[in-house]
Amino acid sequence: MTEEIDLSKLPPAEPYDKARDEAQRARLMKVWQTPTGWRRISAVNNSSVGKWYLLTSFAFFAFAGFLALLMRAQLAVPNNDLLSQSLYNQLFTLHGTAMMFLFAVPIFEAVAILILPEILGARDLPFPRLSAFGYWCFLIGGIFVCGSVFFGVAPDGGWFMYAPLSSNPDYSGLGADIWLLGLSFIEVSSIAAAVELIVGVLKSRPPGMRLNLVPLYCWYVLVVAGMILFAFPPLIAGDLLLEMERAFGWAFFDPDRGGDPLLWQHLFWIFGHPEVYIIFLPSIALIATILPTFAGRPMVGHSWIVLSAVGVAFLSFGLWVHHMFTTGLPEISLSFFSAASEAVAVPTGIQIFCFIATMLVSKVRRSVPMLFAGGALAIFVFGGLTGVMVALVPFDWQAHDSYFVVAHLHYTLIGGMLFPLFAGVHYWYPFVTQKKMSDKLGRWSFWLMFGGFNLAFLPMHWTGVMGMPRRVWTYDVTDGWAVLNMVSTVGAFIFAAGFVVLAVNVLWPRGKAPLVERNLWNAGTMEWSAEVPDKPWGVRSIPYIHTRYPLWEQKELLGEMDRGEWFLPDAEEGKRELIITDILDARPLYVQRVGGPSYLTLGSAFCLGAVFILATFHLWTLTLLFGAGFVGFTLWWLWTGTSEIPEKPEKEAGRGLVLPTYAQGNNAPGWWAVFITMTGDMTAFMGLVFSYFFYWTALPNFLPDAAKLPGFGWLVIGLALLLAGWITALLARERLAGGGTAQAMALLIAGVPLAALGIGAWCWAAWSAGLNPTETSFDATVWVLILWMGLHLLLDAVMRLYVAARIWRGRCTPRYRADSANLTLFTHFLALTAVVIFALLALFPMLMGVV
Amino acid sequence: MARSEGKKTVPPGEAPRVIDQGSVWILVAAPSIWAAHFLLSYWVAAIWCAKLGRGTALAEPRWIIAALGALCIAVIAGLAALAIRRYGGVFVIFEEITESSERARDKFIGHVALLLCVLSAVAILFTVIPGMVLGQC
Repeated sequence: MTEEIDLSKLPPAEPYDKARDEAQRARLMKVWQTPTGWRRISAVNNSSVGKWYLLTSFAFFAFAGFLALLMRAQLAVPNNDLLSQSLYNQLFTLHGTAMMFLFAVPIFEAVAILILPEILGARDLPFPRLSAFGYWCFLIGGIFVCGSVFFGVAPDGGWFMYAPLSSNPDYSGLGADIWLLGLSFIEVSSIAAAVELIVGVLKSRPPGMRLNLVPLYCWYVLVVAGMILFAFPPLIAGDLLLEMERAFGWAFFDPDRGGDPLLWQHLFWIFGHPEVYIIFLPSIALIATILPTFAGRPMVGHSWIVLSAVGVAFLSFGLWVHHMFTTGLPEISLSFFSAASEAVAVPTGIQIFCFIATMLVSKVRRSVPMLFAGGALAIFVFGGLTGVMVALVPFDWQAHDSYFVVAHLHYTLIGGMLFPLFAGVHYWYPFVTQKKMSDKLGRWSFWLMFGGFNLAFLPMHWTGVMGMPRRVWTYDVTDGWAVLNMVSTVGAFIFAAGFVVLAVNVLWPRGKAPLVERNLWNAGTMEWSAEVPDKPWGVRSIPYIHTRYPLWEQKELLGEMDRGEWFLPDAEEGKRELIITDILDARPLYVQRVGGPSYLTLGSAFCLGAVFILATFHLWTLTLLFGAGFVGFTLWWLWTGTSEIPEKPEKEAGRGLVLPTYAQGNNAPGWWAVFITMTGDMTAFMGLVFSYFFYWTALPNFLPDAAKLPGFGWLVIGLALLLAGWITALLARERLAGGGTAQAMALLIAGVPLAALGIGAWCWAAWSAGLNPTETSFDATVWVLILWMGLHLLLDAVMRLYVAARIWRGRCTPRYRADSANLTLFTHFLALTAVVIFALLALFPMLMGVV
Repeated sequence: MARSEGKKTVPPGEAPRVIDQGSVWILVAAPSIWAAHFLLSYWVAAIWCAKLGRGTALAEPRWIIAALGALCIAVIAGLAALAIRRYGGVFVIFEEITESSERARDKFIGHVALLLCVLSAVAILFTVIPGMVLGQC
């Protein structure tokens, strides 16, 4: 039991002193200043990175929307030849891909990076440079994928890239590689953002913001970031398998060699369905934040909304097969997924009912954000209802791959995601720019989009029921779909006109327009505490929060914050500082120093981008060179910007509170970041394990004869060596804590050859049994598991040498040893991976009576 | 603890307090049980049908699924009791657990955990239904 600090009983602030206030503000300004001119690209402030992220996502949205207009133009009349069939295939693939990967998910990250720290009354997120790194990855990957259409080599296999169309290079050209590698790269930035946001919500809350006081938006961010961690990695595993088959002929999806194209569908949709909720929940979170402001009262059923966010997050992982109802799986399997698809409507409905209840018990102020929010609910509920229809297996058999599904998914995504987002744009625009958007243009854009949307997509329900399949390039007049298609096309262009009005409204230069007043909507959440005009430091002093809607319920708060009466009002040491708090009650734990502007993240992202792009063209030497560059930049970044030994062990944080300036082990955000990243990594690994068991279930003779199994003895030796390597990391941690720096370094370095010998023994086990990954799916699966282990051991070796070097240079010491704790955590996951692989390769065949 | 007689206020110790005290694991426990039941049911049926072929009767898997369901719901009921007794969770619609105290935070977690128990139990029942209805693969 730890001792509770009662923050409400802290001593009173010292009397206001104008000179002190100005001096503190000047120091804060110097530390948090955003670089200007060309150096602006080195900025890492959440306000800069968030804005870039937002504008870039909207640029990709406009691009993907333009592709949609081209498609609608092609479909406007029967037998149209405006576009070639090949171009049409590229357009719909790129439209779906860009909307999903380059708009819907990144925009969640963009909005969260922009507003989450301010809602939490924090100065920034705990890893600002990681946000910047993620942004640059996103930009480079996005341009690469979208740019391909100008060279006629865009992916054309549909946004889901089904094998064998995508796995056989004869059917699909460079486009499939661009899709696979480009998007894997973008997934890196999503996972980076997820790590940042989870740690942000859990550890960077303002002192006093206990779990029951956390704003709804933060709950949603936490839930969605957690979902990304479990949803994206299976696709990364799938991407790995598919690219190994495309580039090196490994047998994963080719039925002639014991592969199975259905495996891709499983891995894709285990990602793909939660993805829909990953897109939907953060947008609903915007409504949950906007609505109380205009209702002028707290949300009804706050905890019911938390329940439904958590409930949806779980249930959405049990829906993936409802995209595969027509693949011939046993009916009993289909009905489980049908049942879960119906069950997920329960928590989804609860959220909507909470919103309606809040509106019913209050008098809602009319405003443009509420107009969009209302339109969103109307459209989304309609899409949800058709969702309940297609969740039923017999109905889905009729509607599958028809325009009915196109209508359904656009109703859910545009109602559930796009309209709430536009509500958010109108609502938070003054927060970002301190200027107000035109209400008149706002209403115009809403009605154009709302009308245009329904005109475009409502008729598609009928076109679908009348039998028009998705993704067809053209149709004949005798099909009878001509009128409805023309209506849809007209609607699509009206919708686009509405978006143009919105874009003009957003981008209109408002240099001379008056600044808005502070907290112009009279909101209750912390982001509106920002001073007008805005300051780069986020909050003047980090406040003590003890209510759900601090700006409504803590009347004195703004004045206290402005006068610097709360925590960290100064930057005496010239460092960017945040307060890290604990998960349950947000007790202040320590002062974290974060990195300022840097080109290192940019260099790191650039090299990693080059690796993925060059690999697409199989330029392996250059790929390796840039890979080395990536490792170099990343190590440089870590070396100079993380786990720095503070100049003093603790500092005065204001109000008599003294906090440590260094944390290690599970107190440090870095430790949590490793833990969260490795959880995602384990999920990807589970994707490979799933593949193994999938083959075993689907194929009658997946496991070969005993002679063709990897040698048991060598597998045991390999495992023993790998576990010995893990033990060296544990001992190194102990020795370092006990003061034995030389022994710690020796142990860390000794782990490298142990790992090399261990993986060597496994490779020999597979090699000597004659396993050839291009021959059968079993051989390929064994080799991909060994490859997975090998890649992780490579990373392990780099990290060990890095930590040993840090100890050698006195940057990781017996007292300040966060690096060593983080490395040890990483090796725990590695050991677990090794044990699971051993069980799959050595024990499972034995259990099945093969040996 | 406030500063008294010029003494400085130092934050509490090291423990992350997730598992030991006032833990949040109870929030994810019930839906995780749903997930486990869902996956086990799916695997049992999928392996049964794949290894024995189409048209096989589902008599044995049916009872495995139902028994697993009953077991899981029993565990969830236990969790619900815990959420009520230890955390003070209540089943109300207009919750106003906005007090700033450890007890209120516990009550909030208990309340949400209780709601998640109900949702998870309902979702498990949803999964059991097809097991009861379908006679063969």
